[in-house]
Amino acid sequence: MKLLALLGVFLLVGVATSQDGARLLAAKNLLNEYLVEGKDVTVLYSIYNVGSSAALNVALTDNTFPDTDFNVVRGKLSVQWERIAPGSNVTHSVILQPLKSQFFNFTSAIVTYLPVEDGAEKSTFTSAPEQKGIVSLKEFDKRFSPHYMDWAVFAVMTVPPICIPFLLWSMSKRKYESSGVTGKTRKN
Amino acid sequence: MFRSFPPWQKGPNLWQKGIGLAQAQDDTEEDVLEGEEEEEDDVEIEEEEEEDEDTDVEEGEEERAVEAGDEEEEEEDEEEVLKSSKDADTTMLFTRNSETEIPVNLPLQVLVGFANNGEEEFVLQHIHASLRYPQDFSFHIYNFSAIEYDYTVQPGQETTLEYNFQAGEVFAARPFGFVIQLFYKDAEGNFYADSLFNDTITMVELDEGIDTETFFLYLFLAAVLVLLLVGLQQLFSSRGGKKTKRAAVETGTQSNGDVDLTWIPEQNHIYKKSPSPRRSPRQRTTKKVGSGDK
Repeated sequence: MKLLALLGVFLLVGVATSQDGARLLAAKNLLNEYLVEGKDVTVLYSIYNVGSSAALNVALTDNTFPDTDFNVVRGKLSVQWERIAPGSNVTHSVILQPLKSQFFNFTSAIVTYLPVEDGAEKSTFTSAPEQKGIVSLKEFDKRFSPHYMDWAVFAVMTVPPICIPFLLWSMSKRKYESSGVTGKTRKN
Repeated sequence: MFRSFPPWQKGPNLWQKGIGLAQAQDDTEEDVLEGEEEEEDDVEIEEEEEEDEDTDVEEGEEERAVEAGDEEEEEEDEEEVLKSSKDADTTMLFTRNSETEIPVNLPLQVLVGFANNGEEEFVLQHIHASLRYPQDFSFHIYNFSAIEYDYTVQPGQETTLEYNFQAGEVFAARPFGFVIQLFYKDAEGNFYADSLFNDTITMVELDEGIDTETFFLYLFLAAVLVLLLVGLQQLFSSRGGKKTKRAAVETGTQSNGDVDLTWIPEQNHIYKKSPSPRRSPRQRTTKKVGSGDK
């Protein structure tokens, strides 16, 4: 009985220490392999609750994309969730368009949350993709566009070297046939 | 392989100055290959890594180098070196795999949470993952690339770091000791290391729906089969057709067929003098045709 009580006390202590509320881990990732000016870039935010209780009033705010460098195409750069249950995760994505070709330092967004109800608000930073190069559209096209225009020019350029010999040959053939050499011998 | 060497055989070469992390890795690889160095070397190398990171070397380590005596003492020291700060609170999460199995050939993500509960700021320096011998975690088998962060965490702040790694196919289906360590320092220049993960894991190879290698193997086999069939068909058709072809060839040189001889000048025509008088009139007619065209 005494042992049981002791065990109970230990359990209580264990619960008390482990129950320090929600703990959020937040990742910010760029899903595009190439960042190109004027083309869509998807930013994915994943928030994992690794704590022991639900996180309440979770707010994600990303102020790291200045208007001079990025255009928001779809999605919001600040979102809220009522609660994130322990052991679960949420994701949020935003589609942006970089406006300039440059090296851009993608830094952390901020997540604020209440680890326990009626507790103090806590804030955490997401991971940062860090410095990435944004390729200019011209450079990107040079590498990856289907080059329709180039192929059309190539096709036009190949016309003379193919057609001129063909015309010469067909003219001589017609002249030969009209002279009637072959026709007469065939008859015999 | 893991027998103990007498202390005097511990090479003084292990305490050379200015050996970087990369070289320390080389050393461990050599250990794996040669298998003749003993485990304590690895312990020392690990400590050496520590020392190199700590550019301003603590005196204690120097002294230890001179002593280099009792193994147990060293292990105690190692524990001291690798301690984590009381003010730091770390958590770790594998986002794409479980904690007991690590799939090979897949980019994996580890999220590391760091909370600064103290009064001073911490600088998170780098995260380093390594595969250890499962029976003896001091024996390094493979070091994953360390990722540098140099991220400052102010007092009361929390942050998340991301560590990405990918295990090679050679490790598939084997148990390993897997250790992820976070190295950081405080404002006073004290260095800390936190073992975020320190457990035995199994490397697994995930079954993919279609394997390109086997797919192309079957494609190649099918192509070989088709080639064989075509070859066989060619063989049989040429054997069967030989009799008929022979007969056709004989008539080719006769001028009474479709052969047009007009393009050959008259004087170059050589006529076969046949013994039979019956053929001469026919030849004469052809001659007349040729002259008539001229």
